[in-house]
This record gives sequence, C-alpha cells and structure tokens, in this order.
Amino acid sequence: MKVLVTVKEVAEVEDDFEIDGTGVDDRYLEYDLNEWDDYAVEEAVQLQEAGDDIEVVSVTIGPERAEETIRMALAKGVDRAIRVWDDALDQDLLDTATKARVFRAVVEEEEPDLILTGVQAGDDAFGATGVALAESVGQEWAAVVNQLDIDHLLAENVARVHRELEGGVEELTDVELPAVLTIQTGINEPRYASLRGIRQAQSKEIAPKTLADLGLEAGDVESSLFLTEMYEPESESDATLFEGSAEETAAELASVLREKGVGAE
Amino acid sequence: MLDYVSLEADLDEEERMIRDTAREFVEERIKPDIGEHYEAGTFPEELIPEMGELGFYAPNLEGEEYDLLGVSETAYGLLMQELEAGDAGIRSMASVQGALVMYPIHAFGSDDQKAEWLPRLARGEAVGCFGLTEPEHGSNPSAMETRAERDGDEYVLNGSKTWITNSPIADVAVVWGRDTSAEDNPVRGFLVETDRDGVSTNKIDDKLSMRASVTGEIGLSNVTVPEENVLPGVEGMKGPLSCLTQARFGIAWGAVGAARDCFETARQYATDREQFGGPIARFQIQQQKLAEMATQITTAQLLAYRLAELKERGDLRPQHVSMAKRNNVRMARDQARIAREMLGGNGITTDYSPMRHMSNLETVYTYEGTHDIHTLVLGQDLTGIAAFEG
Repeated sequence: MKVLVTVKEVAEVEDDFEIDGTGVDDRYLEYDLNEWDDYAVEEAVQLQEAGDDIEVVSVTIGPERAEETIRMALAKGVDRAIRVWDDALDQDLLDTATKARVFRAVVEEEEPDLILTGVQAGDDAFGATGVALAESVGQEWAAVVNQLDIDHLLAENVARVHRELEGGVEELTDVELPAVLTIQTGINEPRYASLRGIRQAQSKEIAPKTLADLGLEAGDVESSLFLTEMYEPESESDATLFEGSAEETAAELASVLREKGVGAE
Repeated sequence: MLDYVSLEADLDEEERMIRDTAREFVEERIKPDIGEHYEAGTFPEELIPEMGELGFYAPNLEGEEYDLLGVSETAYGLLMQELEAGDAGIRSMASVQGALVMYPIHAFGSDDQKAEWLPRLARGEAVGCFGLTEPEHGSNPSAMETRAERDGDEYVLNGSKTWITNSPIADVAVVWGRDTSAEDNPVRGFLVETDRDGVSTNKIDDKLSMRASVTGEIGLSNVTVPEENVLPGVEGMKGPLSCLTQARFGIAWGAVGAARDCFETARQYATDREQFGGPIARFQIQQQKLAEMATQITTAQLLAYRLAELKERGDLRPQHVSMAKRNNVRMARDQARIAREMLGGNGITTDYSPMRHMSNLETVYTYEGTHDIHTLVLGQDLTGIAAFEG
C-alpha cells in the first residue's frame, strides 16, 4: 500500500509584525510545517507502523528552503519526499485549483492507495486543497477527519472515519480506497522527531520536480486568484471579567447571556 | 532565542533539526509543568523513557550496535543547551545518564558491560548514577574512603557517596573506589546494581536549589559484586575525571541555555510591562541590563561553540572545559539574577523561569568542580604551580 501525504511549509507570523505591500514583512515570519499536516503525517506513519509493506510518500509545492521542513517529516517516519517547484509557481498566492492540478500530476505518477492532507493550511487557510484534489483525480473523499480506524482500513481497504461537522456533530462514514482524507488536528498526538529519525532522514530522498517533469506547463498553474491588499482590521474588545466563586460567576454569566439573548429561556 | 552573532546559521541541517526537536520538546513537555515540579521538589520521571526514545542520552557516543548515534559534539551541546533552557534538573538527569554513566561504560567497559547497559540506558529503560563525591571528600575526590576488597572472583565494597544525582531512581551506579587488594590502592570503577544487598540510596530532601531533580546518597555496606562488574579499561583518577570533562562540556552549553531563557523572559516582560505610561523597556536602565545580558550570553555562547570544535577534532583539554564551565555558569548565575530584577515582584514566583534558573545555578556553580576549584585548575595551567596540593 502506498500513502501520499501532501505537506506545506507555512509562514508563522510573530505577535507583533509589520505589513509590507500585500504580505507580512519577512522579518516577522518563521517557517514551519503546517500544523494540520503534522497530524496527517503522524496518521500516515501510524498506518505504516501498523501494517506491512506500506510506503509513505510526502509531496510539497515549495522552494528549496522548504526542504528542512520536509526533512522533519522524513525524520518522523515518512519514507521519501517529492518537492515540486518551478519559477512559474513563484506567485503571491496559489489558488486551490492550481495546487490540485499540480498534485494530480503527482498522484497520476505515484498512484497512491490513500491520500492524506491537512484540513487547511495555517497561512492561507483555504481548507479546500484536499477536497479539490479528490475531485480532480475522481476519488472518494472525507473532509475534517478526526478519527480513522487503522485496523479496519488495513483489513478491509475501507477508511472508517469520524468527520467533524458543525455544532459538535460527528458523522461516521466508510470511504472506499483509493480516497482522500483531510485530517483534523487532535486525531492523534504527533511525535517529536527522534535523533535517530533525524539521522536517518539525512539519507532519505527528496526528489525535486519541475512542472515539465510532471508534464505540466506554466499555463497550467496560472492562478485565478491574486492578492490586492493587506491591512490590519480595526479590533474592538469588550471583555467582562467575573471574579468570585464558581456559583457567583456562573450566576453572573447566566444573567449576561440572558441579557444578550443567548440560549433558550 | 537570542543568537546575536548568528552562530546557529552555520549549523548543519542535522544539528539544526536536533536543536528544533529538543526546543519543541522542552516547550511542550517541560515548560508547562516544571514550575510545579520545582515547587513540589519532584522530578518528572515520565520524561525519562520519552527522552530515551528521542535519543537524548549520550547521542554523541559512537556505536550502532549499542543504539548509539555519534552525532556531532555541537549537536550534543545544543541538546544540553535546550534542555537547560527548560530546567537544569532535566539537563542534569540527561548529563548524568549520558556523560557520567554511559560514557565510562563506553570508554572503559567490557563488551559484555556495554551490551548489557548501553542500549537500555540509551533508551531510558534503565537509569544510571555516578558515585564519586563522599561526605568528607568533595573538591578532593582522590582522598576517597570507599574501598573495594577482592574476595576470590568478587569484590566487597564499603563506603558512602553523596550528592548523587538520580541515585534514588537509579538501576545502576558507577561507583569509584580504591582497590585495597592491588598495589598502591588504585581507584577503580565498579558497576553496582542498586538492588544488590547492602546498597542504600537515600534521597536528600530540603534542597533549596535544583528542586526538580532527584539527589541522594549511595551507601555501600559489604556490597558484593562479581569481578565482571569492574570497568576493565581504566585505573586511577583519570577514570572519573575524564567523565567529568564530558559532563562539564554539557554544562558549559547548558548554562547558555538557562541564561537565554532568562534573557528572553526578561525581554518579553520589559516590552509588555507598562509603567509611567509605557513599556519599561523604554527606560535606559532596563536597556542597559538587556544589552549587558545579551553581550555576556553571546560571549559565553562563542566559548561553547569553540569548545565543541576542539572536542570534535580531539584537541580539547580538561583546562579548556574548566574555563568554559567556570565562565558560562558564573555568567548564567549573574544574568539570571538581573533577569529576575527586571521582572519585579512577579519574578519571585514560579510563574516565571529566571528565579528558578537562578536558584538551580547555585548548584551548577558548585557541582562538577566548584567555581573556585576551576579557578585553581586554570591557575595551575597558567603558572605551572598547583595551589591545591599540600
């Protein structure tokens, strides 16, 4: 079995920052693996550890700088990685459809049985790449998965999942492989890369691919979305702090909620 | 964290990743609870196997057959630095396990001893401790009274050791004692399993420093060990002293970590805390403190990096390590106090790290060769005259 995990290096912004044009000034950015992808990697590695002969491959769209982040995923147990980059991809913002087209080309080459993505990326937060990819490759999918029955998947080739819906509702679904699952935080506890894993990762492959290598052209990745402006919204805060025992504060909270019209009478 | 002259930019990828994984572990697994452990005087024992799993014990030693990795000395130093940014007690546990227990077994042990202990110690399935200091012999360990008397193919050990990090939770102790059955009573190293008859490992309570660390004694009352438990590869004080050089190397790095954590805490506080209508960081008196702190940390950091280079290429002398241990721990001890000052009254609570570091550093200043003894080691090296001999 082969599992493909899409991963992304995202920029994390410090608490205090300055805007430069349509982005945050580089000085206030730190790059790290997208938090959701960390859970997707962990789920894939747990699957690999539970089964026999399961290969976990990660794929990312990103410049050479991203290799260290990808290497961390390799240190956590991913077997090998693919990094797609091209001058044509060096745009302010890659929209979901563009990313799905690039990943589709990789999927056609790798033919994975299961594709895991994070629910969303911490920077652009579209939350749609996984589902767009499933649509693009014509596979079944389940989004916002917070539980996956690994034993069932290995035995039956079916992903038995819990999906998180709005309002605390969960959906239990069976999805036949091949499929795409978008993984929610909290599904597992991502491991730390061990020093042994870090050592082993130094000799694992990160295969660079250009668009041409994937049979794509610059015209295939023309994003239809672009950033026009970046600004800090005005923020207003109106916080009330209750002090006292649980009983007192609960009563105060209840009266405020009633006042504001929250909850049924 | 403060890296003013970008030393970390020159690390190789493996070193940076080791730093990152250690930093993340400290941030998530140590920092949230360490204040409570410190107050309660407990060591977070659940971290012992976790740190083993991550490869935090003696990763700089070579030997694939014993689950050892042979990472660079810089990577090992970075690991100690990050752990001590969490707490000196955590770093001490890893230092003792790696530099004072695994190192002597690796350097002086038999193949059987290595095979029995190194993989288990590396994985954190077994805990080790190091018995050198005695109640009456601290700075002058060569006057030790612990004795081993040969009896057929066994040795009978008697004596007492104190200020032993990890002893109450240890499975094995590396005990240094004089072999009274051999000519000139040479110092030998013995692997003493703590469940042997006659071994006691009383805990030392009432510490006001290094509270999130377990410290105890080792009592040896007619303890019999087979001769296979003697470390075959070394005789004399160079045995224990060579271990201490390894551990002090880690301390020189660790102190930088504690100081950096103090600095970052103080800088954050100074920019957040508002008095007289603005952040206190705008006052020259606070800026002067931060500037001095950053400068002292950076020079200590440079010394630690240089030490790693010398160690890597085999040119490190114990006196180099004395200078770095002496300088860096003093620096961290002084700067922790400055950081505490900057935090005002909030600084005396367990909510902030500087006073905990400051108090830990009193121990670090004194253990593994006191500050004053390292001064005399340097004095001897510079003049050729030993001030501490008769």
